[in-house]
Amino acid sequence: MTPIQMTFSTMFLLGLMGLTFHRTHLLSALLCLESMMLSLFLATSLWALQLSTINIATVPMLLLAFSACEASSGLALLVATARTHGSDHMQNLNLLQC
Amino acid sequence: MNPYLLIVLLTSLGLGTALTLSSTHWLLAWLGLEVGTLAILPLMAQPHHPRATEAATKYFIVQATAAATLLFAAINNAWLQGHWDIQHMSHPLFTSMITLALLLKLGLAPMHTWMPEVIQGVSLNTGLIVSTWQKIAPFILLLQIKQIHPPLLTIIGLASILIGGWGGLNQTQLRKILAYSSIAHLGWMVLILQHSTALATFALLIYIFMTSATFITLKKCKATTINMLTTTWTKAPTITLVAPLMLLSLGGLPPLSGFAPKWFILQELTQQNFIPHASIAALAALLSLYYYLRLSYSITLSLSPNNLPECLQWRVNYPISTPLSSALPAALALTLFLLPLTPSALTLII
Repeated sequence: MTPIQMTFSTMFLLGLMGLTFHRTHLLSALLCLESMMLSLFLATSLWALQLSTINIATVPMLLLAFSACEASSGLALLVATARTHGSDHMQNLNLLQC
Repeated sequence: MNPYLLIVLLTSLGLGTALTLSSTHWLLAWLGLEVGTLAILPLMAQPHHPRATEAATKYFIVQATAAATLLFAAINNAWLQGHWDIQHMSHPLFTSMITLALLLKLGLAPMHTWMPEVIQGVSLNTGLIVSTWQKIAPFILLLQIKQIHPPLLTIIGLASILIGGWGGLNQTQLRKILAYSSIAHLGWMVLILQHSTALATFALLIYIFMTSATFITLKKCKATTINMLTTTWTKAPTITLVAPLMLLSLGGLPPLSGFAPKWFILQELTQQNFIPHASIAALAALLSLYYYLRLSYSITLSLSPNNLPECLQWRVNYPISTPLSSALPAALALTLFLLPLTPSALTLII
C-alpha cells in the first residue's frame, strides 16, 4: 500500500466514521458525505497523475460533477427537513419508526 | 407533478439502471447508481408532508453512503490491481466491501433498517419503484462480482429471511409489511446467489411480478393499513377474490408462481449438500406466510365489524384507467399462473 493510498483511505474512513458515529445534525452528515467524495476525487486525480494517461483524466471531473449534484440535492433535502421538522437535528427524524 | 418533469425523472430512472446494467467499468456502474438515486428523490419528496421529506432524506443518506463506499472499494482495487473491471475484481477485502455496499443499497438484514421506514414514508407508486426497479441495478452488480467469502452471503441471506419474517409480524401498516416481505425475498435471492446466478435472476423476476401486482392492488384499494383492507369488498369485489391468491403466491404456496423460485432454490441447496441452510430458509418462510395469511384473512375471509352502511363509500368511484391500473391484469396473471411455464422461463434466463 503506497503512502498516497494510505492517505486517501484514511480520509475516506474518517469521513465514513464521522457519518456513522456523529449523528446529531443533518448538516454534519452532509459534510461528512462531501468529505468522503472529496477524498475519492483526490484518489482518482492522483491515479490519473500517476498513470499520466489522458483518457483516465476525465474520471475526476465526472466524479466531481456527480458529487456536486449529490451535495446540492442533499442541501435541498436539508432545507426541506428544516421546513417540515423545524430544525436539522437527526433526532427529529423519528416519524417513521416502528 | 408537472408531466414534463415526471417524464424527465422516469426517463432518468430508466437511464440509470440501463447504464449500470450495460457497464463493465466500475465508474460507469457508480454513475448509473447515482443517476437512479438522484432521479427518484424528487418523486419521493414530492408530497409536502414531513413523512415524505423524512423518507427522502433517509433514502438519500443511505444510498449516497453505499455508493461512495462502492466507489472507494473500486478505486482501492484499481490502485492495487490496476484495472476497473467489474468481473475481474479479485482483492478479498475490497470485494467484501463492495458486496456489503451493494447489500446496503438493496436493504438486506443487518443493513435493512432504512427499508421499512422509507417505504412507509412514500406513496404506493413510489414504493413500487423503490422495491422493484431500484433493486435491479445493485442486484445485477452483485451477480457479476466473484464472491470470495462464501459464508458472508449465506449468513446475510439467512438473517434477512428470518428478520423479514419476524419484523412483519407486529406490523399493521401495509407498506411496512411489504418492505419486510421484500427483505425476506431478497434474502432468498442472496442465499442462492453464489450457487446459481440463473436461479437468483429468476427469483428476482418472479419477485418483481409479485410485488408490482401487490402494490398496484393496494393502490387500487387505496389501503395503507390492515383495517382499511377490510372494506375492499365494497370497493372492488374482483380484487377481493384475487388478492388472497396473490398474497399466497408471495408466500410461496404450490399452484401459484411464487412457489417456483422457492422450490428450485431449495432443490439446488439440497443438491449441493447445504441441507441445514435449506431447512432454516424453508422454516423461516413460514413466518412470512403468517402475515400474508393475516392480510388475506382481513381482505376476504372476514367482514369488518362495522355495521353495513358504514362500510360503503360516500361516493361511487367510477373506474378510471391509469397506466398502473391497466398493468394490473398482466401483473396478476404473471403472479398467479407462471408455474407451468417455469421450465421455459428458466431456459430463457440460462
